[in-house]
Amino acid sequence: MKLRTFLAALALVVAPTVALASGGPEIKYVGVTADRTDIASLQRGARLFVNYCVNCHSAQYMRYNRLKDLNLTEDQIKQNLMFTTDKIGDTMKAAIKPNDAKEWFGAVPPDLSVMARSYTTEKLAGYLRSFYADDNRETGWNNLVSPNIGMPHVLNELSGPQKLVETVFTADGKEIKTDHDAEARAKAAFVAANTMAAFEHHSEKKDGKTVNHYVVKTIASAGPGAMTAQQYDAAVADLVNFMDYVAEPHKAKRIQIGIIALFLLGFLLAAAYALKKEYWSDVH
Amino acid sequence: MAGTPSNHPSMFKNPVLNWVNDRFPLTALIKTSASEYYAPKNFNFWYYFGSLALLVLVLQIVTGIFLTMNYKPDAAYAFGSVEYIMRDVDYGWLVRYMHSTGASAFFVVVYLHMCRGLMYGSYRKPRELTWIFGMLIYLALMAEAFFGYLLPWGQMSFWGAQVIVNIFSAIPFIGPDLAVWIRGDYAIGDATLNRFFAFHVIALPLVLLGLVVAHLIALHETGSNNPDGVEINEGPKGNRWSKDAPADGIPFHPYYTVKDILGVVVFLMIFTAVVFFMPEMGGYFLEYNNFIPADPLKTPPHIAPVWYFTPYYSILRAVPPLFGSQFPGVIAMGLSVMIFFALPWLDRGAVKSIRYRGTLYKSYFAMFLVCFVLLGYLGVNSTDVWGQFGDWSSMLDTKDRATWVARVCTVGYFAFFFLMPWYTKADKTKPVPARVTSH
Repeated sequence: MKLRTFLAALALVVAPTVALASGGPEIKYVGVTADRTDIASLQRGARLFVNYCVNCHSAQYMRYNRLKDLNLTEDQIKQNLMFTTDKIGDTMKAAIKPNDAKEWFGAVPPDLSVMARSYTTEKLAGYLRSFYADDNRETGWNNLVSPNIGMPHVLNELSGPQKLVETVFTADGKEIKTDHDAEARAKAAFVAANTMAAFEHHSEKKDGKTVNHYVVKTIASAGPGAMTAQQYDAAVADLVNFMDYVAEPHKAKRIQIGIIALFLLGFLLAAAYALKKEYWSDVH
Repeated sequence: MAGTPSNHPSMFKNPVLNWVNDRFPLTALIKTSASEYYAPKNFNFWYYFGSLALLVLVLQIVTGIFLTMNYKPDAAYAFGSVEYIMRDVDYGWLVRYMHSTGASAFFVVVYLHMCRGLMYGSYRKPRELTWIFGMLIYLALMAEAFFGYLLPWGQMSFWGAQVIVNIFSAIPFIGPDLAVWIRGDYAIGDATLNRFFAFHVIALPLVLLGLVVAHLIALHETGSNNPDGVEINEGPKGNRWSKDAPADGIPFHPYYTVKDILGVVVFLMIFTAVVFFMPEMGGYFLEYNNFIPADPLKTPPHIAPVWYFTPYYSILRAVPPLFGSQFPGVIAMGLSVMIFFALPWLDRGAVKSIRYRGTLYKSYFAMFLVCFVLLGYLGVNSTDVWGQFGDWSSMLDTKDRATWVARVCTVGYFAFFFLMPWYTKADKTKPVPARVTSH
């Protein structure tokens, strides 16, 4: 009873901290996710991964023969998914030499073995859907989630060209009366956006006064690709699903075993409880 | 012991047991430490965590042995060898998750165990040495966790170690040399990894095991405390098992062994749920940044120690530097851990257990717990987590609200200890019953 009151008081102290947390530009992640147990999705993801990612990125802790997990035979793996080696026990090494990559992109593309664990699948999918054409960049591409990243939009042929749409809300004394209005309108546009979106706040000094700009950035199609927008989203979901698998191949098995283990412990709990009750029946 | 009827040699039917007992006090040991060790019969929920700590220690040692079979303490291979364990070693992932979850579980259990000691005054006379051995275990455990955290050689391993070693370099005069001596290099590197590995797998486990034995020997010498803080050895004698044993005591075995088994199963269910369903525990048990290999050239934007160190880390950050030196913070942090050793002598209360303490003590204790938890929370986050004060605060050294909250909590934390001799003495306590409440 007293403990409960105390814990409740503690919760009251800690709870407001969640609401108060703040950061830089706010990013909205939208998009579909794929089921980790959907083998077909993982297979499609594997194909995208070896075709588009392994040219520049390695997954140096992932062995090709582990892909048998995805109901593939060694022959299927060799013929359809292995382009950089002919040994089935090899790990996924990039086609490009690290030094060349450094020269071309400014940095060696990071290893993707556990990328889905450090960066999370949601952010990865958002990142892959956030490329837009930018003439100021050497690669010709920029990214809403990771601005000025060295990586070009390698899935461009699938998604088709994409552009950045920037909407700025500034109080002008007419339609948008106050900063508060501007911010509210920008927030509303940000929430309503059905693509990846970023919300930013800039302020500048103009004639001695601070002018606030509330900016909503979204991604829009700038031409057709090999896939429709829906198909591209689904493809990204498959790819990220595969990367999640690569990051922890035993995840599905882990959850399976966990359910069995908990079930067995449940029996043990009943037995342990009965034993304790029996022994303690003579303690008063 | 030999010569007393119950321990007389050759008293059992089993000839092997007799043979052993003639040469080694096996039966006598079992009796003194279990079947004829009389513990108070009113242990509650809080008394599970001692045996659970022992369980986790064994779990860590066993899983650790299997991890060392495939781990490579080499800056070039360490990260890869952990991934090798996670992928190519049969059930290596399970062993690794048990070990990483076990590390956090150890601290959860130990913090609850210590909290029990605080609540029921288990540190007080005659159990001061049990408390001191326990505190030494806690220190060794912190060192063990710190050394172990470098081994996966991820970004957080590297930069976390960097931050902690830098704490030592804040010590005036000898600091920088001391830091080099600890690292074995001018930066965290292969030499550091090798020596941390040695400390983690050999030196500290040995120390820990020795201290645990000492902790238990000291406990069994005085007998266990209980939620009422009543000394059962000073109460009436005679129970069903022995006329010399305390009336409110029951044999540890089988009563507390079967009770602890129940606690173990409940603990294992929670532990299993974490290991199999959320081994990262939202980034608190396995940090997301630690899945990026250590890179000495790339500092992560936000470095926070693992959750179990964060109350102390918060205190370190909260204390403002003096003449550009972080040393005052280091002193405060060191003191915040070491002050626990003095607890038996700071507490001058008339009663042991919180059940019979007055409002004054209870208020201080509640404040201490709130401060400890808040400091822990703030230590996980960057100092701007609660935003900043407005323009009026320009005369302050920092506008970060969280830093000021951490400062208030640091004062609260130390007030609990430094004012203890006075408020425990002034506290209006309730009368303590002669015997445990459920007899």
